[in-house]
Amino acid sequence: MWAYTFRRILYNIPIFLGIVLLLMVLLRVNDPVYAQLSKNATEVEIAAKRVELGIDRPLLVQFAEFMLPIRLDEEGVHWTGSVFGFDDRSWYREDSVWNIVRPSVMPSLSLTVPALILSTFLSVAVGLVSAANRGRWIDRALVFFAVIGMSISFLVFIIFGQYFGAYWLTQAIGFELFAVRGYEAVAAPEVLDPDAGLTIRGWLNRYNVPSLLGWPKHCLLPVMISVIVTLGYDTRFYRSVIVEQSTSDYIRTARAKGCPERTVLVKHLLRNAMIPIITRVMITLPFVVVGSLLLEVYFSIPGLGQTLFTHVTNKDFPVTQTIVAVLAIIFIASNILTDVLYALVDPRVRLS
Amino acid sequence: MNRKADGMFQRIATFLTLILVSVAGAQDRVVQLPVRTDGPKSLDPVQGSTVYDNKATVQMYETLLEVAYYDTTRFVPLLLEDLPERLDDGKRWRFTLRDDIFFIDDECFPGGEGRKMVTDDVFYSWKRLADLDNKLENWWLLRDTIEGLEANAQGTKFDYDADVAGLVKIDDRTFEVVLTQPVYRFLWVLTMFQTSIVPHEAVEHYGEDFSRNPVGSGPFVLDEWVPKSHMTFDRNPAYRPMFYPEAELWSEEDAALGLAEAAGTRLPIADRLEFTFYIEDQPLWLEFRQNKLGLIQVPSAYFPEAFSKRSKRLSREFRQEGITHAAVPLLDYIFRAFNMEDELVGGYTPEKKALRRAISLAVDWDEFNQDFYEGLCTVYDGVIPPALEGHPENGRDPRAPRGPDIQAAKAALVEAGYPDGQGLPPIRFYTSQGGNNDQQVEMLQRQLSRINVKLDPILVDFSQLIEQVNKRQAPMFSFAWSSDYPDGENNLALFYGPNASPGSNHYNYNNPEYDKLYESIVAMEPGEERTRIYNQMQEMLFEDIPAIGALARVRYYLIAPWLKNAKPNERYYGWYKMLDADDSKR
Repeated sequence: MWAYTFRRILYNIPIFLGIVLLLMVLLRVNDPVYAQLSKNATEVEIAAKRVELGIDRPLLVQFAEFMLPIRLDEEGVHWTGSVFGFDDRSWYREDSVWNIVRPSVMPSLSLTVPALILSTFLSVAVGLVSAANRGRWIDRALVFFAVIGMSISFLVFIIFGQYFGAYWLTQAIGFELFAVRGYEAVAAPEVLDPDAGLTIRGWLNRYNVPSLLGWPKHCLLPVMISVIVTLGYDTRFYRSVIVEQSTSDYIRTARAKGCPERTVLVKHLLRNAMIPIITRVMITLPFVVVGSLLLEVYFSIPGLGQTLFTHVTNKDFPVTQTIVAVLAIIFIASNILTDVLYALVDPRVRLS
Repeated sequence: MNRKADGMFQRIATFLTLILVSVAGAQDRVVQLPVRTDGPKSLDPVQGSTVYDNKATVQMYETLLEVAYYDTTRFVPLLLEDLPERLDDGKRWRFTLRDDIFFIDDECFPGGEGRKMVTDDVFYSWKRLADLDNKLENWWLLRDTIEGLEANAQGTKFDYDADVAGLVKIDDRTFEVVLTQPVYRFLWVLTMFQTSIVPHEAVEHYGEDFSRNPVGSGPFVLDEWVPKSHMTFDRNPAYRPMFYPEAELWSEEDAALGLAEAAGTRLPIADRLEFTFYIEDQPLWLEFRQNKLGLIQVPSAYFPEAFSKRSKRLSREFRQEGITHAAVPLLDYIFRAFNMEDELVGGYTPEKKALRRAISLAVDWDEFNQDFYEGLCTVYDGVIPPALEGHPENGRDPRAPRGPDIQAAKAALVEAGYPDGQGLPPIRFYTSQGGNNDQQVEMLQRQLSRINVKLDPILVDFSQLIEQVNKRQAPMFSFAWSSDYPDGENNLALFYGPNASPGSNHYNYNNPEYDKLYESIVAMEPGEERTRIYNQMQEMLFEDIPAIGALARVRYYLIAPWLKNAKPNERYYGWYKMLDADDSKR
């Protein structure tokens, strides 16, 4: 298995390099310099800006500096100690890429991880119930609601969820159960004190970890909205997987030999349905990291989705390149991990 | 026992109540305001450019002059004892700093104690605009303005110690500025936040992090800045004695709104400012409705909820809640334009002028206003926005080729040599993507189709639009200009020959007679003679038609009942120090 994993990593290196190079080429199709200048820039200032941004140099030099911890200039090669541009300065905000990305990850995870866990468990459970009652009213009702959930835009759920769940409910009960917007970290990141990373509190500050008391007020409503939306898609998928398995010979055999229905469903059926379940969860993993742009924007959760959106729209190449490169790594890693997990859950799968 | 316990509980309850009451009595006056973005880019004045940078920066840094809160077409001294003295017909200006300006206490100063602001700080701060290391983001404000002040060349370090001929120090409080030519707008530039005064110690101490560690002399000090979330400021305890404008300075209309009531109150009035960042309109609107925000610019989607669309009157529900509103006209110039160097639509021959006149006469700006701006914009002739010197009465100028006048447009098309549009190829029209621009393009195409003029619309990113225009490759395009300062001269400069692309004369309009007139007005103070020249210059533009338009937006603000002294404007944001919160009305 280790040899297989190592080989897969090697095979994926050119893919990763290709992704990053393609991204860098695509970003530079249109000259970004005009987006970074004032409305009255002169030709001299345009040229100076191009030099300052480093986009006057050959693309391959820019690519090499991004991928390797080096800086190239007329005097030779200099060691920088930083890859993927984490130490580069953002073009949009006066800060380093790392300082911009770092406090965005935990807010995204505080939404997406609970949403992924809840929606996976709930939709598998609902899928099981639906499949076990195939053709009956309960199955039809669940499929009906799943289709409704799929048919309505995520944005509609967010707009209505925010209005009724946060605004209307507060007016109705006179108590703010869910906030309209906001995010409460354990303590706000010490943007004014870059050295505050030595203590646990400093670490929590730096990574913008949500506070336990503030999380339900600010994050639970968006998590619930996310779960409701995901349930529609996932339930239909898991139901069809489970229904397909339920017509298999081994299920018929289990029932024939008198296994209780619960054992048939949970022990035999669910176990064999794990491969599509794992595949679906693993495909979702990179999106867990990048967060949910719409939820983050509407509920003002300072996550990675919002960060990526802001910096892409402002043509901030350093931040965009770094986030996309990291996402590409996560995507590739989750693919490899999926294969490994297949082997762990299904003895028939051999990695070679 | 029970009675004893009751008595004890009663005493504890009374004691707690007293504590609560005293705490409540001593509560800070907090003003919560929205910022419609994910936050400022930088708190370094020379690197700021957006409205959001402006809003945040001016709470902590100050400029020599500021826009008057009671009349945004005037400026008043802020760091100065008095308005600068005009010498040599406006080529030289003498300034005297107030004697009581101190930077806030900060570790960048010896002993951590803020020091007095002196002349050298002013020179240093302005020189920073010319320093290539500061990206020259705002160098255009002082470029070619002060004698001897030049940006450093690529690969060299800016020499802050070198003398600049135009910056003459008389003593620690008094100095003179010698301009390359008399330019009246120079004083307006000194109201802009990018020219704020910063101490060199802070820039040197914090280096790259100076943009997040403001050390100013303003009414507030930064408490916390969490990007994408919020920003809070506390009152600067050492802020010099500054006072709310006197009652006689306010107009009757403003006084009737209660704006003169705080006259003479020491500034800042609020103890704390809290900015919350919003990207989407719904949370902004809902939090305002929850009374969590002092004022908001009404998002267009919620306009019908707050106002009658026809009368623009605030709805009864809002009035009953004590919410008030303010309509703020913007110094906008929204227009369609031509590249005067383009072979098809450019040029100065009678035929070319007739073609542009035909197009102008076919365009119906009122229809754009009604369909895309809820009828809230002001449609006007010429290039000078409403409320400024040179703006035509009621926005109408009989000399302007204002449409829709299809008959006249068709006649002009015949003059141009394209009767009924025959022989005229489609005109490439560039505009930016996003918003309802694609629909606006469709409307423009429909309007021009009435005279059989066809457009070849190209919707691109805004940066691409700028690139195309700067490279003089866009025959016709759509743009908007927001005046840098409230003087028509700023808009007339858009057609000044030497400002051709990539400068702000995106039309590449070249009329030596116009240029001569423009050069004559830059040094002039407001007055009848200047207004007459403004009109003369606009007449030339009506004749040559490098641009057609225009529209100016009016922004509607809602003000919560608990927010006092609010007179929103989008000219400057130093007025937050005037705001007060009446918690009894929350």
